[in-house]
Amino acid sequence: MLVAMSETLTTNEYTDDLRYEVFNREFMPHIDSMYNFAFRLTMDEDDANDLVQDTYLKAFRFISSFEQGTNAKAWLFRILKNSFINDYRKKSKEPSKVDYQEVETTYNSEEASDTTYTVDLRADAVQELIGDEVANALNSLPVDFRTVIILCDIEGFTYEEMAKILDIPIGTVRSRLHRARNLLKEKLKSYASSMGYDS
Amino acid sequence: MNASLTTPSVTEEAQKQTMKHTCEHHAECMKVIQAILDDEATDAEKEHFRTNMDKCIPCIESYRLEKCIKDSLNLKIQKKPCPQSILDTIISKINS
Repeated sequence: MLVAMSETLTTNEYTDDLRYEVFNREFMPHIDSMYNFAFRLTMDEDDANDLVQDTYLKAFRFISSFEQGTNAKAWLFRILKNSFINDYRKKSKEPSKVDYQEVETTYNSEEASDTTYTVDLRADAVQELIGDEVANALNSLPVDFRTVIILCDIEGFTYEEMAKILDIPIGTVRSRLHRARNLLKEKLKSYASSMGYDS
Repeated sequence: MNASLTTPSVTEEAQKQTMKHTCEHHAECMKVIQAILDDEATDAEKEHFRTNMDKCIPCIESYRLEKCIKDSLNLKIQKKPCPQSILDTIISKINS
């Protein structure tokens, strides 16, 4: 699995000193973003700690497949995402057990592509929401939808970078993001309603 | 109250009449709005945005909403620093 992480499958010659230098210079500055990503994926502090630690140790071990000058943050996020799927997802304590395929099928259906599909939510109502309410709405989405929103809106990755991190085509990034945002709007709407912000 | 504030001017009235209250291709517009906000729009999408968005009320409202959600996600959600103990463990393991 880790060999496949390098797009070009090239390995670069790294001296021991260079390994530490690249690790400190290219990888360590992203540790806070990685920690937050891990926490939002696993929804559990202990799992997030383990996931970040495992990811950084893998990154160090396989540093020769990292090409200097390429996007280190995207490279690290990709390792973390793969580790999450392979090692953590099965034991995830996530309460939402919605099957992603099922959700994607629903949203791919004719009904969902209906041009009239909109959520009745006003920008003013969203402005009233506090960070915890926005975070709760995000956290209540199935993990694959949550992930695209985190990568795009919180971490600022481009569609192309997201496609590489998630191993999906750019067209799928666009459509998944679109569906994720529609789902998020529904969640935000119910928060706004429960707080009385939407009247 | 000053009459000029309550009576719409001729230009405002003309502008109102050209504003669309329904959007016949809103689903498509939503994709364009998303691409614009993500800074990923193609030239065709940018052109569509320039020519349609300022005269379509549902699209203007959607743009405001999408932008507000995107900004809220980016600015309001708390970002925690990685605990020092994880940093220490990583550093000690790669040095061992």
